[in-house]
Amino acid sequence: MKTLSEEAPLLPNPLREGLVEERIPEPAAMVIFGASGDLTRRKLLPALYSLTRDRLLPARFAVLGFGRAALTDEAFREEMRRGCEEFARRRPVDPALWAGFARNVFYQQGAYDDPAAFLRLKARLEEIEHTLGLPGNRVFYLSTPPSTFAPVIRSLGHANLAPKPAPGQPFSRVIIEKPFGIDLQTARALNTEVHDILAEQQIYRIDHYLGKETVQNLLVFRFANGIFEPLWNNHFVDHVQITGSETVGVEARGGYFEQAGSLRDMVQNHLLQVLSLAAMEPPVAFEADAVRDEKLKVLKALRFIPESDFEHQVVRAQYAAGSIGGKTVPGYRSEPDVSPRSTTETFVALKLFIDSWRWAGVPFYLRSGKRMPKRVTEIAIQFKEAPHLLFGKRGETIRPNVLSIRIQPDEGIALNFGSKLPGPAMEIAPVSMEFRYGSSFGVEPPEAYERLLLDCLLGDGTLFTRADEVEASWSWVSRIHQRWAAEVAAGRTTLDTYPAGSWGPEAADRMLTADGRAWRLP
Amino acid sequence: MSPDADREHGSFERANFERFARGESIPVEVGEIERELGALWKRASSTGDTHAGAAISRAALWNLVIPARGAGALAKTKALVDEIAQGVPVRAITLCLDDSGELNAGAAAGGGLSATIESNVVSQPGGARVVYSEEITLRGPAGAETHFGALVRALQIPGVPTAALWMDAAMPAALLTRELLPVTDRLIVDTGSCARPPHLYDLQRLAAHAHPMPVADLGWLRLGSLRLLFAGLFDPPVGGAPLRRATRLSVRHRPRGDLSALLVVAWLGQILGWRPLRSAQTSDGGLRFDFARGDGARGDVEPDIEAFLVPAEGACDASGVLAIELAVDGRDDYVVCRTAIDQASVQLPIAPAKAVKLDSYSDAELCVAALGPRGRDPLFAKCLAYAGGLWALEPQTTGSQR
Repeated sequence: MKTLSEEAPLLPNPLREGLVEERIPEPAAMVIFGASGDLTRRKLLPALYSLTRDRLLPARFAVLGFGRAALTDEAFREEMRRGCEEFARRRPVDPALWAGFARNVFYQQGAYDDPAAFLRLKARLEEIEHTLGLPGNRVFYLSTPPSTFAPVIRSLGHANLAPKPAPGQPFSRVIIEKPFGIDLQTARALNTEVHDILAEQQIYRIDHYLGKETVQNLLVFRFANGIFEPLWNNHFVDHVQITGSETVGVEARGGYFEQAGSLRDMVQNHLLQVLSLAAMEPPVAFEADAVRDEKLKVLKALRFIPESDFEHQVVRAQYAAGSIGGKTVPGYRSEPDVSPRSTTETFVALKLFIDSWRWAGVPFYLRSGKRMPKRVTEIAIQFKEAPHLLFGKRGETIRPNVLSIRIQPDEGIALNFGSKLPGPAMEIAPVSMEFRYGSSFGVEPPEAYERLLLDCLLGDGTLFTRADEVEASWSWVSRIHQRWAAEVAAGRTTLDTYPAGSWGPEAADRMLTADGRAWRLP
Repeated sequence: MSPDADREHGSFERANFERFARGESIPVEVGEIERELGALWKRASSTGDTHAGAAISRAALWNLVIPARGAGALAKTKALVDEIAQGVPVRAITLCLDDSGELNAGAAAGGGLSATIESNVVSQPGGARVVYSEEITLRGPAGAETHFGALVRALQIPGVPTAALWMDAAMPAALLTRELLPVTDRLIVDTGSCARPPHLYDLQRLAAHAHPMPVADLGWLRLGSLRLLFAGLFDPPVGGAPLRRATRLSVRHRPRGDLSALLVVAWLGQILGWRPLRSAQTSDGGLRFDFARGDGARGDVEPDIEAFLVPAEGACDASGVLAIELAVDGRDDYVVCRTAIDQASVQLPIAPAKAVKLDSYSDAELCVAALGPRGRDPLFAKCLAYAGGLWALEPQTTGSQR
């Protein structure tokens, strides 16, 4: 057998020409830290299996799980197979396909702060790469508690597992789960630590909302169609509503949620990312940095909420006992690991403005909550009324046009407009033109993690968050946290409650009715 | 209409709707196809459900026109359309030329056309059932092809692109070139199962006629798995350097897979800049092609690369290609070799041979791919032209040793 040095210098592979559209990454190994955790079993391995099934992973590909639990390769594979059978998009699991996939799935036990464990990890990884003929391309997935992000990355650096990029050398990339910091200060500190070891282009801060098909379609919808973008500004848009609601409570994550709250858990990342995509200017190219530059401009243009308007523009609340899906559910303060005197918000509603030429004067209303009537994430763009109303003079209501972009579930886009009812009278009724992925394409869109893992393997960072974006969003959000902290310190907390199964507290409704508007029922 | 007649008509409509929702075909007047479809969908949307309480949707991303000749070809085509509907919603318009009158004796005897409509039902996970797309079948006796063009133009869903799936070489070519291509956005052919090297000229002419419309080839897509595996041999750490020092290429193929094998040679020759010098028949019934490298270091007499098409037997999918073997510097072998229909062994000098899964696609899956971005592969047209150039070389009759 020949050695690699005889093949130097490395030239590009011309046979990949024309195969580009397949989007098949180069052979690689993926190391998952936190491999015995829930995310690996429910999302990551099912996503990798589905990618394999869709023939989107390279033939030479390995997964090495790393975690504290003592597991053999076989036990890990078995656990992951059960996860795929339960959660993979492509089910049932094909036994033959699984056998081939699982052959290259391995497990290594170790602690995240143990340098010796990382040296053992390195030796195991090199052995796997040698056996499978892998070129040394590596993706490290940090599916671990946020407190371990910095130690793991330091250990990667010490073990020289993720060297900075160099021409002709295999790639090393690191995917970091949210939350990236808990405020501006900690996010900056983490960025500094991470940049000590890794170049920014090696870092993939994941926000799974950005992997959803409709979020990506938002860019296509806006910038590949000539008819919408001319309307996408303060001349035609009355206001924008972004809703991210969940039916679940805190489940077993009471301890985590007590520290986080909805503003950190949902708004700082998911909703502000969605907002930035909905509001950004056209990028100069559909490339990672061009898109992220435009998103950053939106985040930087978010107007800080002035003290005088704070109570009119920020509502926070906690769910009380109520009913969801026909079942009685407890209030937040009765959940496990939650303080009976907790002031953590499970609902937040915000009115914010983007100080830009395009959006001057257009309010963006954001709301996110747990224990709401249904799980839905959508962007609703409400257009201004016609300048002169020919109809509606006899008392009938003419509803405004709304373009709603449904991110989950039932991903799709709907446009509501008024239409004449059939018959001799001039009666007007709202109707909806709908596009749904499921019915239009006949297939369900891929899971967000499938898209994002594939993008990382391909080196495409467009759908990942850059350091400056993270800091810009924390910069805006941290001001609200500081204000809330000051309230608590002063002994006056503006925390409302809402019954589980409702769309939030009355204060959230008042925020819009004061402007002559109302929340949509998504 | 009298109440009795009204009731009778209502029950006829209901029966038709139930058959439609089950995906059965319903005979309709040729001139009433669109109206009948509209009535059935209107009824579907007003009842709100068909089976299992699932709402139904009507969808089409493509008009897909498929000509077929005779009962056998029609049956195959309809089975293919049923499968395609699982992957992409289309309005399928099947045009069947029924020379013998075996499919519709009455209509054929009257010299006229007959039509049926049906739905293609896609089951969703969880047992819900959603009707997605519709299928129109037009049948007519010899000569009916003169009507097909106008009917297709009338039945195309506006604003939806149209693809013509031209797999039946027995159909009159004028139907495609005169009637269908002008209203078509994508042409799909199949070099893998329907064509041999002598058809290359016809295919090239067709592609030229269709230009600049994308021409997708199911045979080319079928080769995708092997091409992908073979290309993967030259990813890092190997890199592209060995390809510049190739000395011998051997493509083993099933006897009817010679056109696919030729396309493999064309793929490598086109990308690596090999200049064809001559061809020869080999003693085992195969072919040999001599190439000069792009830099022309050795002139035209001594070939830099020898490429062989080698007929062989073995388990294989419809692509007909069993193995691609590339020798570099006359010694190092880079090999992808099919060991079963869906298994292959890959071999390269720096690693032990490894068995890998080789993806195999049904014709319907390939059609779905051809309707997507993979159906716009500009490399195919180049390789088709290159393969045509290889085939046009006058073969020498002397036997060659491999």
